[in-house]
Amino acid sequence: MKIALLGNPNTGKSSVFNLLTGMRQKIGNFPGVTVEKKSGNYSDGEESIEIIDFPGTYSLNPRSVDEEVVSKVLNDPSNPDYPDLIMAVIDASRIENNLFLFTQLYDLGLPMVLVLNMWDLAKKEGIQIDVNKLQECFPDITIIHTNARVGIGKDRIIKTIKNHKKRADISFIKSEEVPQKTEESFDRKIVALRKKKIQELTPSFVKKTKPKKTSKLDLLFVHPLWGYLFFLLVLMVIFQFIFSFASYPMDWIESSFLSLSEFTASTLPSGVINDLISQGIVPGIGGVFIFIPQIALLFFFIAILEETGYLSRVVFIMDRIMRPLGLNGKSIVPLISSLACAIPGVMSTRTISNWKERLITILIAPLMSCSARIPVYTLLIALVIPEGHVFGFINIQGLVLFGLYLLGIIGALFTAFILKLLIQNKSKGFLLLEIPNLKAPVWRNVGFTVLEKIKIFVFDAGKIILAISIILWFMASYGPDNEIENSSQELINSEAYKASNSEEQQSLKSSLMLEHSYIGHLGKFIEPVIEPLGYDWKIGISLISSFAAREVFVGSLSTIYAVHDEREEKQNLRETMKNEKRADGSPTYTMASGISLMVFYVFAMQCMSTLAVVKRETQSWKWPIIQLIFMGVMAYSLSYLSFLILS
Amino acid sequence: MTLIFEVMNVRLSDCKVGEELKVEKIEDGEIAPKLIEMGLTENLITKIIFIAPLGDPIALDINGFVLSIRKSEAKHILVNKISS
Repeated sequence: MKIALLGNPNTGKSSVFNLLTGMRQKIGNFPGVTVEKKSGNYSDGEESIEIIDFPGTYSLNPRSVDEEVVSKVLNDPSNPDYPDLIMAVIDASRIENNLFLFTQLYDLGLPMVLVLNMWDLAKKEGIQIDVNKLQECFPDITIIHTNARVGIGKDRIIKTIKNHKKRADISFIKSEEVPQKTEESFDRKIVALRKKKIQELTPSFVKKTKPKKTSKLDLLFVHPLWGYLFFLLVLMVIFQFIFSFASYPMDWIESSFLSLSEFTASTLPSGVINDLISQGIVPGIGGVFIFIPQIALLFFFIAILEETGYLSRVVFIMDRIMRPLGLNGKSIVPLISSLACAIPGVMSTRTISNWKERLITILIAPLMSCSARIPVYTLLIALVIPEGHVFGFINIQGLVLFGLYLLGIIGALFTAFILKLLIQNKSKGFLLLEIPNLKAPVWRNVGFTVLEKIKIFVFDAGKIILAISIILWFMASYGPDNEIENSSQELINSEAYKASNSEEQQSLKSSLMLEHSYIGHLGKFIEPVIEPLGYDWKIGISLISSFAAREVFVGSLSTIYAVHDEREEKQNLRETMKNEKRADGSPTYTMASGISLMVFYVFAMQCMSTLAVVKRETQSWKWPIIQLIFMGVMAYSLSYLSFLILS
Repeated sequence: MTLIFEVMNVRLSDCKVGEELKVEKIEDGEIAPKLIEMGLTENLITKIIFIAPLGDPIALDINGFVLSIRKSEAKHILVNKISS
C-alpha cells in the first residue's frame, strides 16, 4: 500500500514520518521534477507499507516549485506516486487554519486518516477540540490525535491506517456549490467559499479559552537592534563551530583516502587500471567525502534554527533588507548555506515562490566563499601575506581571510542588484510567511535532516565531482603523441635526475608528466590570457584542475612543483612556491600575484558540480552558462585590477 | 456582540502594533486567493503583533496562526479599527 503524508508546514509532519519509518528512509526524485521525494516504509505486521512525505503546503493551489509537486501527483491517478491512502497531519493548535488543505484533500475522495498532532500544545494554549463532533462532520475517515514530537502515538497510527474506513462519496464542497469556471475571479470565489464553510463549521468542535500571548523571546528576535545582533551572534557561533570542529574529521578523511590510494597503488598490478583507481577514482571519492563534515555541521545548525522556528523570524527581519537587491527574506538560508557549499545552497532556494527572486538567489549563491576555497585561501595567505598584527592584536593574515569572505559577500549583493535591473519579470514578488510558535528542537528530526542533506550531496554532486576527477586524471596522465615518454627519457639521462634519490626522482617524473600532459598543454595554451593577472602556465594548470573542486588547486600545485613526501606536503609546497621564479628571475608569488589569485578564486565559477545543480534547478543550460560568464568576467577583471594596483 | 468601529476603511499597511482590527475588504488581485487560503479573510478580527525593524513586513495574528506579509500586500487590505 502507498500512503501520501500531507499537511501544512510546521505541523510536525516530519515527526510523524520519522516516527513511523525510522531509519528506513530513502531520498529520490519525483519523476519529471527536481523536488526531492522522501519516502520510507514500515510493516503493519502483514504487509510493507510505503509512505511518501510530500513537501509541506498550505493548499493544493501551488505557489512554489516545492508545492507544485503535491497537486501534480494527487491530480493524476496514473502517476507512479499516486497514493492508495492519504494521511493528513494537522497541528491541533491551529486547526482552523490547517483545515483548508485538509478539506481540499478530503474532496479528492481517497481513503483518508486524519492525525491531529501537537495535542498537548493545543491543550496548553487552551484550545479544546471535540473529536466526536469533528468526526460527525467527516464521518467516512478515521481521526486520531498524537504527540509525534515526543514519540507518542505510533502504534495507534499504524492500527488506524490498517483499519481505515471506506469513503462514502461525501465531499466537503458539494459540486452544486462550485461557481461556474467562467465566472470572474473564479479562483478567489472557490477559495473564499471553502474558507467560509470552514469558518462556519469550526466553532462547532473547537473551543478557545485563552488569548494568544506574544513570547518574550520574540520581542528580542524581531527587535530593531537586538534582533540583528542576535542573528549575527548565531551566525558567528555556527561558523566558529564549522571551521574549528570540521577540520578534525576532514584531516582524518584526507589522510584515510591518501592511505587508501597508496594501498591500492601498491597492491593492484601496475598499469592503467591501477592508475585509474589509485589516482583517479579514490582521490575523486575522497574529494566528495572531504565536504561531508562541513555540510553535516552546517545543516545540523540550520535544522535546529528551522525546528525551533527561529529561522522564520530571521526571514521576517531580513526581508526588507534583501528586497532592494531583488532578493527575498528567504534568500538568507541559501546564502548562508553557500558559505559551506553552494550545492545545498542552490537546492534550498526552492521555498522561494517568486521565480525572479529565486533565480537571483541561485545566480549569486556561488559568490559566497565556500569551504572548498579555504585551502586555497590559506595556502596563498601563508605564502604572500606577512605574519604580524595591526593595532597590536588583529592578526593580518586573519584579517585578509575575513576580507576575502567580505569581498565575496559584497560581490554577491552587488551582482544581485545588477541582476534585479536586468532580469525581466511580470509577476510581483510576495512574502507569505508563517511564523510558527517557538519550540524546542526534536533531535531526531535534526538528525534525519542532516542525514538527508548528506545523502543528496554525495549522490547528486558526488557523481559529477567523481566524473570530472576522472576526466582530469586522464588529461593529467596522458599527453599528445609520445611527448611524455620522450621527455621522461631525456629526464632519466639528465645529470640532476641521476644525482637525486628515488623519492625525488619520482616527483621530478610526475612534474614532467604533468607538464607534457593534455592539461599541461592547456595550461600553456591559456598562459597568454592569464599572464596579465600575474600567473604562469603552472598556475594555469591548477586553475583548470580546480574545475573538479577548488581545493584541487593545492594538490595539482604540489604535483607540478614536484613536491614529494605528501604527508608534509603543505609545508614543503609553501617553501617551494616561495622559491619559484619567473623566466626573468623575479619570484612568481608576490603580494600582487598572490592577491590577484585570491581575488580570482573569490569570483570565478570554478565548480562544475554547482553548474550542474544550477542547470537542474533552472531547467536549462542558459542560466549556468550566464553564471559562468559573468563570474568569469568579474574574476578576470578584478584580479587584473588588483594585480595592476599592487605591482 | 456588536463592534464599535473607531476608524473605518484604513489600509492595513497604515496600522500599528496591537490595534484590534476587522478586515473589511481584500482588494482583488493575484495574491488575494492566497491570503484567503492562509486565513486572512474578510470579516476576520485580527491584530498586528510585530512589525519588522524597517517597518516592513508585518506579522498578523490569525486565530493563533501568525502570518507575515509585506506592506505592499497589506496596502490592498482595508480594515476597520475596533475601539475596546
